[in-house]
Amino acid sequence: MMTAAGHRGIVCCTDRVAAAIEELQFTLGEGPCIDAFHRGPVLLDDLAGSGHLGRDPWPMFTAAAFASGARALFAFPLQVGAVRIGAFDLYRDQPGPLDETQLGIALTFADELAVTILRDRSPGVSIPWPADGSSSHAEVHQASGILSVQLGMSVEDAFVWLRARAFASGRPVVDLAHEVVNSTDPNGIERRGTDDETR
Amino acid sequence: MTRPAEPPIRHRPGSGSRERQLADVFVTLADTLVADFDVLEVLDVLVRACVDTLGSTAAGLLLGDQRGQLRVMAASAESSRLLEVFQIQNDEGPCLDCFRTRQPVSVPDLSIAVGQWPRFVPVAVASGFRSVHALPMRLRDTTIGALNLFHGDEVALTVEELRVAQALADTATIGILQQRALQSSNLMAEQLQTALNSRVAIEQAKGVLAATGGLDMEQAFQALRRHARDHNLRLSDLAREIATGTTDVAAILGPRA
Repeated sequence: MMTAAGHRGIVCCTDRVAAAIEELQFTLGEGPCIDAFHRGPVLLDDLAGSGHLGRDPWPMFTAAAFASGARALFAFPLQVGAVRIGAFDLYRDQPGPLDETQLGIALTFADELAVTILRDRSPGVSIPWPADGSSSHAEVHQASGILSVQLGMSVEDAFVWLRARAFASGRPVVDLAHEVVNSTDPNGIERRGTDDETR
Repeated sequence: MTRPAEPPIRHRPGSGSRERQLADVFVTLADTLVADFDVLEVLDVLVRACVDTLGSTAAGLLLGDQRGQLRVMAASAESSRLLEVFQIQNDEGPCLDCFRTRQPVSVPDLSIAVGQWPRFVPVAVASGFRSVHALPMRLRDTTIGALNLFHGDEVALTVEELRVAQALADTATIGILQQRALQSSNLMAEQLQTALNSRVAIEQAKGVLAATGGLDMEQAFQALRRHARDHNLRLSDLAREIATGTTDVAAILGPRA
């Protein structure tokens, strides 16, 4: 399921239960996916239980999702900082939490999915690039902000531009981002000498 | 190397005892920990409190992102260079060791630790640091991150100072996880991820402000924080508005002093 500002639409589902879950949220206007889009991940181990420690966030949705066969639901936002793209849901037909490894995989998948969607909807970027995990580096996001001003585009397009540029020139995104940040830093020129020594 | 019996003077004469400073810190935190508070504001207060009460040259806070990385969440100064000293510890360094072992790590003399951390030590030393301490941010069986304290001279924090630092780290942990999360690993993951994403929005906003105003990253963060405080806005919300272009950046940069 993908949610863009104001527009909601289901992009793809793996089976009928997943489709039903997304349809429900779309129809009712409530559910974990919608909350995940606006805030952060929503992890529900057991749809039958009280779930969220007394929170009863979506009374209509929860009952209907249970009836369609879901027992646990995990919703992850697709976002890069301020850039919100959508969310994706995982469901289970048995109750139970995601373990640490599964959670890590789901979060990593959400990160890469967000980047892929941004890339594919960005005009003028045709080269696919492999996953590189660079989204965990602060300078990549600082550089996106800087480039958005310098190139007169949105932060999300600047983020894509940076990665496309790095990939096309065969350089790590992190290195290119570092260069962008230092080139605009008013102290960058005098600092660059010592930076080289330490890197 | 340990510090001589007579510690270097770290506090301004007449600035009051550490107890009073700590009391001030906790009053400030109580003010910050209101309903719907911004986690990143609390962490910002905390790292600055470490510098003030423990005489640290710099303080930073790293969190595990549940994807296998340590990420910088707050720093007493926001220069790219300092953030790098913290961030490199995702690969090696006292913060990573502290995070993995769940135990405090004290390195009073960095120069003899270069064999232990061949990449981290040169970066830290080049930034003017001579000693480092790392304290775990723990909640029961889980470690969510580490608090990192740097000093510009060779310093071994006393047991009492380490206790103060740990109290600050524990407060940060509670701030991130919020009280209701104490009982659920799901809620912990939800809070952590939300805080991590807010931090990314702050980096994006710093970039926008830096490029628009010709500022470095520290100045950009100061402008962001000042505007949030002056207008009673949450730091994270303001950062999002700046990054998505839904607020007037010129008003935030204001007339240059």
